[in-house]
Amino acid sequence: MISFNQVTKRYPGGHEALSNVSLAIEQGELVFLTGHSGAGKSTLLKLIAAIERPTSGVVSVSGQNVSRLSRRAVPYLRRNIGLVFQDHKLLFDRSVIDNVVLPLDIAGFDRRESLKRARAVIDKVGLLNREKANPVSLSGGEQQRLCIARALVSRPALLLADEPTGNLDAGYAADIMAMFRDFHQVGTTLVIATHDERAITALGGRTLHLDHGRIGEVPA
Amino acid sequence: MIGWMRHHKHALGTALHRLRIQAFTALLTALAMGVAISLPSGLYLGLENLSRVAGELPAQPEISLFLDAGASPEQKQAIATRLKQPDIAQARFVPKDEALATLSASQDLADITAGLTENPLPDAWIVRPQATSRDALVRISDGLRKMPGIAETHLDSQWAERLQAALAIGHTGVWLLAGLFAIALIAISGNAIRAQVLARRDEILVSRLIGATDRHIRRPFLYLGALQGLFGGLAAGGVLAVAGTILREPVEHLAVLYGSTFHLLPPDGAEIAMVLGLTTLFGWLGAWLSVTRSLHQVEATR
Repeated sequence: MISFNQVTKRYPGGHEALSNVSLAIEQGELVFLTGHSGAGKSTLLKLIAAIERPTSGVVSVSGQNVSRLSRRAVPYLRRNIGLVFQDHKLLFDRSVIDNVVLPLDIAGFDRRESLKRARAVIDKVGLLNREKANPVSLSGGEQQRLCIARALVSRPALLLADEPTGNLDAGYAADIMAMFRDFHQVGTTLVIATHDERAITALGGRTLHLDHGRIGEVPA
Repeated sequence: MIGWMRHHKHALGTALHRLRIQAFTALLTALAMGVAISLPSGLYLGLENLSRVAGELPAQPEISLFLDAGASPEQKQAIATRLKQPDIAQARFVPKDEALATLSASQDLADITAGLTENPLPDAWIVRPQATSRDALVRISDGLRKMPGIAETHLDSQWAERLQAALAIGHTGVWLLAGLFAIALIAISGNAIRAQVLARRDEILVSRLIGATDRHIRRPFLYLGALQGLFGGLAAGGVLAVAGTILREPVEHLAVLYGSTFHLLPPDGAEIAMVLGLTTLFGWLGAWLSVTRSLHQVEATR
């Protein structure tokens, strides 16, 4: 589903975040990306969603060459990808449910159908009683779950999560990892950047280790 | 098609919502636009009304020839012959008795003419030349004046013609002014939308991350610009209505002093529709320019 072929990403200023990375991720796989901060985990995820473009090499997603995608085509790629951000990127000028419904509004779904789907997803992440609340009033863990709900509402085939449990305590982190396991079981491809070792052992799956922009497989 | 309508309905709803939550800012912007638009449209209305006054005046150029009291019959005959030439479309002889009778028939002057012991009026010709251009009229008028037996010539249409020329300049001025204020309108709208785009930076960035197209992001801002333009047009209408109410009485008073029943006429439906349509269009245009530029800036500073 995802393949990197000798991908290098150099940022303006000369910092090389990824060096000659090649990898392949199959459909339905659960893959963890590990490595110290600054190893290139976020950059790798951004290249998959076309948030960044590689300096050289080819990134392809579902057979589409993402590195060459035109600005017009990028939104349609992203509609098939659920993104979970470490800093959540929620909108605080609207309620929980309006945050979740946003991707469906963008895709042009019928409003009533959208609200029904949004409510189902909010229920799944355990925020149903907070649907009218402003995200500001949610705790860190709740905000993270809200971000996951927004990523899942359009039922993407691929979910990318950047440090989804980064600043949560162990209890919340376990909840969220359990949620990811459920999505994996229904066939969603997941790529999760994390240094939460316990989660990796709990969920199993493949682990790719990044070290100063170079990749290596960690034997399970 | 249904999806397209849904997108537009959603964008319009979003735009209306943003206007509502920023009602005061929207009102200020509408007022700024309204004042700007009311200047050219007010001038236009004033000129239209003035043109109506001018339209009631004889615009057909006429030359009045007044004969010398002591002109000989031969001279009179020569003048009559001259006036049969092809450069004269029509010539009518007004004997002095007829002129006096016409004068006496007019109510106000009857008293004066009744006191006269003899007719002080000269015989006259009312001449309508073929040509209507200013130069040709002057040439004919001057030529006639040099004929023996003619005391004086008078170009009747002179001031009406000058008024027409002045009105023509006024109309050109209105279009010039309208062009300038259209630019001002685009600038006001563009500025208001730029502020909106910057205020919605986070929403724009997040929307793009979760698959919004440029069009989708731009659409509510375009509706916002168009609505803002429409409200600006309506505000201009308000400004003009107030000005019209204030001016109506003094204008009618002045008209009465001139013995006229002139009334200020408000703009007709087509004119109102045109102004509102244009302000909406320019509001939209300003928004388009601004949002297209700002979107790239927002992403560049991500």
